[in-house]
Amino acid sequence: MRRAAVACSVAALLVMAVLPRAAEAAAAPMSFAATGEAIQTRTLANGLQVIVWPDHNIPSVALFNWVRVGSRNEGTGTTGLAHFFEHMMFNGTTHHPRGEFTRLIESNGGSDNAFTSQDVTVYEDWFPRSALELVLQLESDRLANLAFEPQVVEKEREVVYSERRLRVEDSSPAFLSEQVQATAFIAHPYRIPTIGWPSDIKAWTLADLENFYHTWYAPNHCTLVLVGDVEPAQVFALVEKYYGPIPGGPATSPVRTVEPEQTGERRLVIERNGQNPLVQVAWHAMPADDPRAPALNLLQTILTEGDAARLHRALVEERKLAVGVGSGWSEGFDPNLYSVYATLPEGGSSQAFEQALNAEIAKLLDQGVTAAELSRAKHQVAASFWRGVSTIDGKARLLGEYAVLHGDYRKLFAAPDAYERVSAADVLAVARDVFKPAHRTVGVLVPRAATSGP
Amino acid sequence: MVAATVLAAGGASAIPVARAAAAIAAPAAAAPRVDVPVPANERVTLPNGLRLILVPRHGIPLVACNLLLRGGALLDPPGRDGTAALAADLLTHGAGARDAYAFADAVEGAGGNLDAAAHAEYIQVQGQFLARDSRLMLELLADAVLRPRFDAEEFDKLRERRIEEIKAAKDSQPEALLGNYGRALLFAGHPYGDAVGGSEAALARLTRADVARYYAAQSGADRAILVIAGDFDPARVRADVEAVFGGWRRAAAPLPPLPASARVHGRRLLLVDSPGSAQTYIWMANVGVPRHYALRPALNIANLALGGSFGSLLNRELRVKAGLTYDASSRFTRGLVAGEFAISTFTQTDKSAQALQLALDTLAGFKHDGLDAAATDAARNYLLGQYPLAFETPFDWAVALGDLDFYGLPESYIGHFGSDLVATDAAAIHQVIDDAFPSPADLDIVLIGDAAKIRDSLSAFGPVTTMPLSAPEFAPAPADR
Repeated sequence: MRRAAVACSVAALLVMAVLPRAAEAAAAPMSFAATGEAIQTRTLANGLQVIVWPDHNIPSVALFNWVRVGSRNEGTGTTGLAHFFEHMMFNGTTHHPRGEFTRLIESNGGSDNAFTSQDVTVYEDWFPRSALELVLQLESDRLANLAFEPQVVEKEREVVYSERRLRVEDSSPAFLSEQVQATAFIAHPYRIPTIGWPSDIKAWTLADLENFYHTWYAPNHCTLVLVGDVEPAQVFALVEKYYGPIPGGPATSPVRTVEPEQTGERRLVIERNGQNPLVQVAWHAMPADDPRAPALNLLQTILTEGDAARLHRALVEERKLAVGVGSGWSEGFDPNLYSVYATLPEGGSSQAFEQALNAEIAKLLDQGVTAAELSRAKHQVAASFWRGVSTIDGKARLLGEYAVLHGDYRKLFAAPDAYERVSAADVLAVARDVFKPAHRTVGVLVPRAATSGP
Repeated sequence: MVAATVLAAGGASAIPVARAAAAIAAPAAAAPRVDVPVPANERVTLPNGLRLILVPRHGIPLVACNLLLRGGALLDPPGRDGTAALAADLLTHGAGARDAYAFADAVEGAGGNLDAAAHAEYIQVQGQFLARDSRLMLELLADAVLRPRFDAEEFDKLRERRIEEIKAAKDSQPEALLGNYGRALLFAGHPYGDAVGGSEAALARLTRADVARYYAAQSGADRAILVIAGDFDPARVRADVEAVFGGWRRAAAPLPPLPASARVHGRRLLLVDSPGSAQTYIWMANVGVPRHYALRPALNIANLALGGSFGSLLNRELRVKAGLTYDASSRFTRGLVAGEFAISTFTQTDKSAQALQLALDTLAGFKHDGLDAAATDAARNYLLGQYPLAFETPFDWAVALGDLDFYGLPESYIGHFGSDLVATDAAAIHQVIDDAFPSPADLDIVLIGDAAKIRDSLSAFGPVTTMPLSAPEFAPAPADR
């Protein structure tokens, strides 16, 4: 993220996603498929995919540029480059000096942000329809003409390091999560923290940056999603005008490494200043486009979404072994982790928590889920799906996720049926596929009384 | 020295920026000039005093509710911070015929959500359900606010959990606690100074009886505003509301008046020691202006320019130019009486004094130079372009119309905001910068960081009091003061 939305309430802290939350899709009324009928798409000669969903509810537009590069495309010594690029893209082009992008967007009523994941880098603009042409001009300009000034790179290095201190080094759950990820993967680049290892943040060279930019920042690696108060024909004409002249980039080498099957539990222990012990248990799961995805997302909802969720009730309410428990599946191009994470009370026993979690998993694998649990989860994903398509921002996010991570935006409209068809047997089957003891990594954070120094 | 540099930079920046704008080949984008129309809504006050606002909006099959109950954490008994927060928590943990489990099953089984939380001035219960479940939503909402059980076991669990969550926040998001320390200092002796969610020590003192007594005295139909928005039939929902809320009694006692808040003079620093912290988290504030501030459009423009967006002055100086931080921002909290104006940022430990000085210098430059016409127009256009995004969904309108009614503000507060921004002139901006923003010489400053490494560098800014992050209160113990 280029900019933090700082949560203010203490109650919100424990439900804040330390890990990416499972994507939500839904069972839905018949009318939903019709909602998407206004969507139109184009692919430019240079390979740029464009998706437009007109929505005239408010006089505003959300434009998301999904670039198919993330930390999974990095290597030793250059970890964090994809995220660093997310920052550099706001730092000036050969046409517009540093600061002009934001100044022009904001003074024309727009705002912007961006985020980077293991799989993608996404640039987001929200603006009044009057700024459409300006935004397309500025977005296409930074895709083609980014400037690399050494002093700007050095300043941004400090900003990114500040972000790392905020998000990882001063945050116990994120610190633990980074170590679990690096332990669960020994070969595949999902082992790399998206924000980068500290030594790499300090050491990137200008040549590394230029090489990365010329490799990945090309129209054929981008999916441009526009939702809001626009007409598709107008958008396509403007996109052709501003993006059409940009040449397509070379084909990139795919991520070849396949993580070898894990053949036994891995464990790690971290000692850190703090008060509350933390536990994270992660299992290797499947890629986003796996046909079992709806079943796994429903299982995630059953286990940890809400006060009625199974693990919350068993471990927080009944046994009082944790003050909060969550879980999430990182849906990516390649198979990533499904994690359960918990904050324990001060002085709480991680062994007792682990035993109770193992007992819950064993019960799940033995007896499956109940009809009431499955029905509840389907209603919950349906409602959150409707909340998602209530805003132009949510629509741009969902369209992009389905177009990029699932391979086709139309799968968004097939999702309601896919979720409705999931049976309790499907959920049990996916639980048995994922929750294998030999496929898990257990991370425990042991707090120690605060001392100064590293 | 540093101040002079910043003033020069701030004063000069407007000129090259304006030139650059004229020189670029960007297509001319007409500045947006729109007001957001407030959707048609129906208002009625029930015989028991409940104010009901219905906002039918069809399309997405969802229905939202927003209930505001006057009082909130302001009415926490002395030394019992967190009373209203725990009362609110418990509303949805067992009510009417349902215990906590059955209540959660009913809400979540329908795919809904219903959450209650205390704020300084009210308790708020918000929910969203699939449209077909509007009657269920109202029944559950009515159970929660009319018939909460305050089960002893649920009280014990939630109180313990809230205490642990404060500790966990210290390990994971120290910046989220800055305001609690800061308001305790700035509003000492005023209800705004008490942490809404309570401190660890105050929560530990609370009993179930405190919470039940609070709610019995401070709840009632005449204290409540209920907004329903979304995909529903107004006549039917109105009848449902009358059926389930008609029997709600009025509050036992009148609302006590809220004393005015007062600005502080001079500077004080509170250093909250977090040994080993990688960064220092900084908050500086003084008392600002209330919700009913007459020059609100000018206030929004001025704060946007100082610290309300990525391109604002504070973020440009501290992040873009100096590389000291990932984020620097400012905001006003405006309540029934004046809340705080606060600047917040963070930086690596050994740059703490430098970042603090630069933030103070940036504020000084802003107070001295004001905003020129280009900066004013840029901020105005940003607000004009962004504010429709805050009023997109029925849930947004449920929140917004509840807020207007609570503070007694007219619909034009939203519906005429665009025109009000356009009509705001330089004199109003000048007056607001003079009147609402504090002098950098008059600030309460909180820093969460590694005290052993930064304490010496802070004494030049004013008298420093130190307390440990692990302390169970958000104010220093009397011995430390």
